[in-house]
Amino acid sequence: MLFNSISFAIFLPVVFILYWFVANKSLKQQNFLLLCASYYFYACWDWRFLFLLIFSTLLDYFTGLKMSETENQNKRRFWFWLSVLVNVGFLGVFKYYNFFAASFADAASNFGVHVNPWTLKVILPVGISFYTFHGLSYVIDIYKRKISAEKNFIDYSFFVSFFPLLVAGPIERATHLLPQIKKERKFDYLNAVNGLRQILWGFFKKAVIADQCSEYANMIFANSSTYPGSTLIFGAIFFAFQIYCDFSGYSDMAIGIARLFGIELLRNFAFPYFSRDIAEFWRRWHISLSSWFRDYLYIPLGGSKGGTWVKVRNTIIIFLVSGFWHGANWTFIIWGLLNALFIMPSIIFNTNRNNLEIVAKGRNLPTIKEFLQMLLTFSLVVFAWIFFRAADLNHALSYIGGIFSMSTFSVPRFDASGFDILNTIILIIIFLVIEWNGRENQYAIATLGSLKRRSFRLAFYFTLILTIYLFMGREQQFIYFQF
Amino acid sequence: MDKFLKNTGLFIAVTASLLFLIVFVPNYIVDKKSRFSIQHNNKIVLFGHSHPECAFNDSLIPNFKNLSHSAEPYFYTYQKVKKIISQNPQIETVLIEFSNNQINEKMNDWTWGYKYMSSMFPQYSSFMDKSDIDLLIKNNPKDFMNCMSISTRKNLVRLLTWNYNFSDAIGGYLRVESHQSNAGSGVLTNETAVNNANLSTVNIDYLEKIIAYCHACHKKVYLVRSPQHKNYEYLKNEKDFMRIKKERFADIDFLDFNNFPLNDDDFLDYGHLNYKGAAKFSKWFNKMLNSGLLVNKNKQALIDHNISRAASM
Repeated sequence: MLFNSISFAIFLPVVFILYWFVANKSLKQQNFLLLCASYYFYACWDWRFLFLLIFSTLLDYFTGLKMSETENQNKRRFWFWLSVLVNVGFLGVFKYYNFFAASFADAASNFGVHVNPWTLKVILPVGISFYTFHGLSYVIDIYKRKISAEKNFIDYSFFVSFFPLLVAGPIERATHLLPQIKKERKFDYLNAVNGLRQILWGFFKKAVIADQCSEYANMIFANSSTYPGSTLIFGAIFFAFQIYCDFSGYSDMAIGIARLFGIELLRNFAFPYFSRDIAEFWRRWHISLSSWFRDYLYIPLGGSKGGTWVKVRNTIIIFLVSGFWHGANWTFIIWGLLNALFIMPSIIFNTNRNNLEIVAKGRNLPTIKEFLQMLLTFSLVVFAWIFFRAADLNHALSYIGGIFSMSTFSVPRFDASGFDILNTIILIIIFLVIEWNGRENQYAIATLGSLKRRSFRLAFYFTLILTIYLFMGREQQFIYFQF
Repeated sequence: MDKFLKNTGLFIAVTASLLFLIVFVPNYIVDKKSRFSIQHNNKIVLFGHSHPECAFNDSLIPNFKNLSHSAEPYFYTYQKVKKIISQNPQIETVLIEFSNNQINEKMNDWTWGYKYMSSMFPQYSSFMDKSDIDLLIKNNPKDFMNCMSISTRKNLVRLLTWNYNFSDAIGGYLRVESHQSNAGSGVLTNETAVNNANLSTVNIDYLEKIIAYCHACHKKVYLVRSPQHKNYEYLKNEKDFMRIKKERFADIDFLDFNNFPLNDDDFLDYGHLNYKGAAKFSKWFNKMLNSGLLVNKNKQALIDHNISRAASM
């Protein structure tokens, strides 16, 4: 069930009505309802994997309780590692086994040994990387005594499975979400309207920008050897906007949907393409994952304490793991390494926290220096996306080879209507203007509600809806569902 | 909560009305103002897909208009036929291509597969009735919305530019210069392999609808099969093809030019004639028309006789 599908358009109002009108007598009922709705939502993808989700939930729930019950450090360690190993084991089997088996066979063939590895013919359970990380953060926090174990199984299951974040995040923390689950929730008109507004904006990003860009990005990447370098540059830029609007659009919808139920989710994107350096980009892109790696990997590894070498080592590890988290493919690993490489100067020269505030705060336009910094950062990010999008390393290298050829100086050629391409480019420009205008807010149109003239607000909403209808691209699966 | 529900309900109602207006008003206007006129001397028209599109060079056949269009299944031809017949009373005779691949399941993809629907539906959506729309929604609901959106956009452009002329985009003779042996392969190839023997009942049903509409408008209707190469892949379903012709279209005259004698270099591929082949065939077809083919009682015998004569020359 996709957020942008008809079935979800029926599912959401039904759950909303039941939540506020039928189950509103007690918090327990509300939580139980949302848990059932979440399991139904997940079962719509593939009901068989629901058992995996429930098993993972049970495992973390019980190991959490066991850790809380004892002060014996050895026992605590046992339960902790049991949970970590089983969780990571599932992830390893479903997501990485085939990759390791194939890589081992390739490596063996280099030494003249023919290995025919046994491969799994299973599909990846949707959202496994996300709910595994939910569970891991929970058991790590208990092990580190940051939180105590949740005794109510329904509440804990709800934390792991809450449907807006179940399949593609934001990756929540027990410290942030569990207290909200335990607290009585009252309907707040402004908050709910704000949620609807964010859903609308997320839907616009997904249906119009991401889905339109995906048509051209898919076309150009699929036939990259036949296009001149100038077209390949467009292909990479289209993909950059596709992945941003696809994923941040999903996050906006997830956050907005959660707001309708009185729950605040973690922010996942903060206008990353307006970043002035790569460090800032990573503070603004997929924030819930970046901060997860920071808190549960980078800091335990020593973080930035211990000199430049330790910082460099830890940064490389973080980006390698981050790349590998996205998928079992060398392209993701190189993508992670490239980003580590891009961020390295700011790590070595200690300038990685130079740009903490949003660019041109309180001003309408950036300075020329800021503009050039943004342009350079965007170019580096787009370059790295080529590896992320390519089918394999050879494809990525030939794509880049095409960009760094004389054909880059030719007029771009597209096997699509020039009028449609121009339409998409104009829509991207309009989108960027709106994002720039709203870059100091949680999401681009967050302050629209404070406009005094109701007619202006309504005119904007109706224009946005008409634009969605008239310029929606062909419906595509959300990219991050595959992770 | 009451305020939220009331305002949200109101917002949804206004949005729905707005979308209704933006979709149906332009649709209605385009339907009413659309122009499908062809020249007044065109008394015979031909509909079909790419085979007749490449085979009948209408500049060599007086009073004849080829309105075939590549990859056009009967579903979209039906929409076109309704408009052309109603707006061109001079038309006396309607020829409709009926050849082997048009009964194949592949035609379903031509009808509601995204690649084809996204280009054909926006062209003809204004003229469809509810059952036509339902068919597309039932078979490809996921892509239908996107095609609706493209269709509305096209209709709005028509409204803004006051351009209701469809005559330029409804098909016509397609001149193809080369043949595949020139393109390096040395041998002719087929369009696509036939993967299965499943039939497209939808396509056959819509052919019936076209015929029924033409009969209701008192037009003479003939089914036509353009020349195909003897190695044409879809000829494998000849038995099924003949059975369907007999079962469903027994009362319609079938003009079969499948065996018209042509050389390999008269073909673009096994299914399509090139310019040279089309010229040969069209001149011959014109002679046949002039010799009274359409008024002859035993049309196929006349065709076969003339084909044998042409082959022996």
